[in-house]
Amino acid sequence: MAALGYIEILDGKGGVSERIAVDGFPITVGRAYGNQVILADPFVCPRHLKIVQDEQGRLLASDLDSINGFYAASDKERIAQLQLESGSQFRIGHTTLRYVSVDHPLAPTLVEGAVKVLPLASPFAAVISGVILVLLLCLDAYLSSIERVTVANIIGETWVTVSMLATWAGMWALASRIVVSRFNFARHVTIACLALLAISALGVVAEWSEFFLPWIPILWIAGVFGYGLVLAGMVFGHLGAASFLRRRSRLWTAAAISLVVVGTSAISDFAARSKFSTVMEYTGVVKPIDAALVPANSVEDFVTGSEKLKKELDALTKKAKALQ
Amino acid sequence: MNRLFTAIGFLLLCLCMALTTASQAQLIAGTTPEIFKQFSEHVVKIEVVETSSAAKASTGTGFAADNSGRIVTNYHVISKLVHSPERYRIDVIDVAGGTTVGTVLGVDVVYDLAILRTQRQPKGHLVFESNPVAQGTRLYSLGHPRDLGLSIVEGTHNGLLKHTLYPKVHFTGSLNPGMSGGPTLTQDGKVVGINVATEGNQISFLVPAERAVALLDKTAKGEMRPSASFLADVGRQIHDNQSRYLAGMFEAKTPRVALAPYDLPTKPAEFFRCWADAVRRKELPYVSVTHDCSTDDYIFVSSDQSSGIVRFYHQLLSTGELNPARFFTLYSAQLQGGNAAMFGNEEEVTSFRCQTRNVATAHGKLKGVLCARQYIKLPALYDAVFRVATLGSRNAGLVSTLSLSGVSFDNVQALSRRYMESIKWQR
Repeated sequence: MAALGYIEILDGKGGVSERIAVDGFPITVGRAYGNQVILADPFVCPRHLKIVQDEQGRLLASDLDSINGFYAASDKERIAQLQLESGSQFRIGHTTLRYVSVDHPLAPTLVEGAVKVLPLASPFAAVISGVILVLLLCLDAYLSSIERVTVANIIGETWVTVSMLATWAGMWALASRIVVSRFNFARHVTIACLALLAISALGVVAEWSEFFLPWIPILWIAGVFGYGLVLAGMVFGHLGAASFLRRRSRLWTAAAISLVVVGTSAISDFAARSKFSTVMEYTGVVKPIDAALVPANSVEDFVTGSEKLKKELDALTKKAKALQ
Repeated sequence: MNRLFTAIGFLLLCLCMALTTASQAQLIAGTTPEIFKQFSEHVVKIEVVETSSAAKASTGTGFAADNSGRIVTNYHVISKLVHSPERYRIDVIDVAGGTTVGTVLGVDVVYDLAILRTQRQPKGHLVFESNPVAQGTRLYSLGHPRDLGLSIVEGTHNGLLKHTLYPKVHFTGSLNPGMSGGPTLTQDGKVVGINVATEGNQISFLVPAERAVALLDKTAKGEMRPSASFLADVGRQIHDNQSRYLAGMFEAKTPRVALAPYDLPTKPAEFFRCWADAVRRKELPYVSVTHDCSTDDYIFVSSDQSSGIVRFYHQLLSTGELNPARFFTLYSAQLQGGNAAMFGNEEEVTSFRCQTRNVATAHGKLKGVLCARQYIKLPALYDAVFRVATLGSRNAGLVSTLSLSGVSFDNVQALSRRYMESIKWQR
């Protein structure tokens, strides 16, 4: 008997992960093996939903007194019954389902080559960002070396970072394979490369800013907040390729993870600063630039400015005395 | 009166040829065993005891300086008590093993001396040499090296040290830890100095006797003061002493050294020693020329603190091979490389706080970093490290560091300013 329609099981992004042909009504949906549509969702009852056709030919889905209820599309209100049209979505347990009739209209066929793949997702982007990153890492290895450098030194240093990056992207790709059934390796590589590029750019900007404006702890700010922001962006990107989470959930997850990391590093930094130490903590960045371009204080300003240092020390002494 | 007693003692000795317990019999020109026998009874062992555990925290030597029970020793022997009087007491142990508790009467932290008092009436005491002693004179030092029992060490007087912050007698003989505070005597038993320090290999130092006499005079009234009050004396003495050695340092009169294209201060006073060196290794793509000056000497404040050390260090880096970006990686690393730890513990000093600025001096622009920490127990004293890196050149640079210990903040500021202004170069 030819199918009348299909019940489709959808993934988090609305893609069809399974399609069950329906060749007559009524049908039942649930975990039990006696159902026409069997779901392996532990939040679904053995017999959860029944779909019948009335005399007028309308399809009606009814909740069979399930424990976790029956919901239309993404509504939060539990319903007892829903009239199904071709394309209607509904939800039981953690599973989203869609009913389509055999004559359900289709989107036009895509023409090969004319499709715009998300730029981030293309292998091309991965290669380009990878090449840029490798070149940058080599340059950085060369510039930050103060001894005579050989090609082997530079490649060696770069290789370490590249292999770490590949491992990172690989782990995300594995996670993607498990969760969304696709590796998305190229996309993970691109995201990781972009994040590293952002961190290098941030580092360069922060160093130069610290050099010009040494009274603002720019390196510290960049170290704590800048990297937190990059991390959030990276997590957001990776989750996009490795989960069915919606945009908003991804944003929240990324923000939460980066907040935890930023918070921890800020707290540990604060704790280290309040702890007694005999080490002088300062950043002294110097850059090769015409001295005329460097904003500078007068000697007098430097000396009078140190009064602030004295005040800080007075406060520390007071605190230490109170503790003794 | 003293002379009269001495004369009588001398007569008695000559006449009777008998052993005498004469308290001030300094007139026998003796061999080492005789000197030991005759004068060792005036020497005491000093133990600083941690009261809660009744265990000794440090030991040293002292000697009876008069009939009233006053004892001379080093400040550093009893400094623990001065810093934490509630935790320590001083036991003074005589040759026979009798122990009495000592109280502090006065301290001279600059010359590392302390006067104690015990309740026990001494059998006698040592007297101080008031005449100049010639270089080469045979000397005998008494003390308790490493707590091994009273010992006598022979050596020679090698004059007053010329290159030290504080006058010290150069004693060629082996002083060892535990002998600190003990007397060093001439052959006729007069104290020429108080054992204070050693550099090993028979190079040892004594505090000149007149410093002990001066401190004894100051404490002649022997007023009892609470032990806690001496820390304030220590602070005051360090404060007063600063102006003596820091005045004029890095001003116009300070000698200069040329490390082209730089013109830099060097050896600001006789008590500084300066060294220079250069690293030109084939495998390094840069050259580093250093010039390092430091006071050899310091004032002992506590086991973790010292004052009076001034050190400055110029490092000229240049390259014909590195490009500016790579050279400045090296230069930045050198500027930050000195984030090295210094001595110090939480009870005595705060953590460091630093200030970094770009500064324009009359000679050019530089990056200046001033780090300082404050002493907690001693009022208004600081350790400071001031470091500069000159800006503007693409293939050369100077990192210069000045470290000061135990100075007032006014002096930190004044010295930083003078140091910064004394760094000159041609652009």
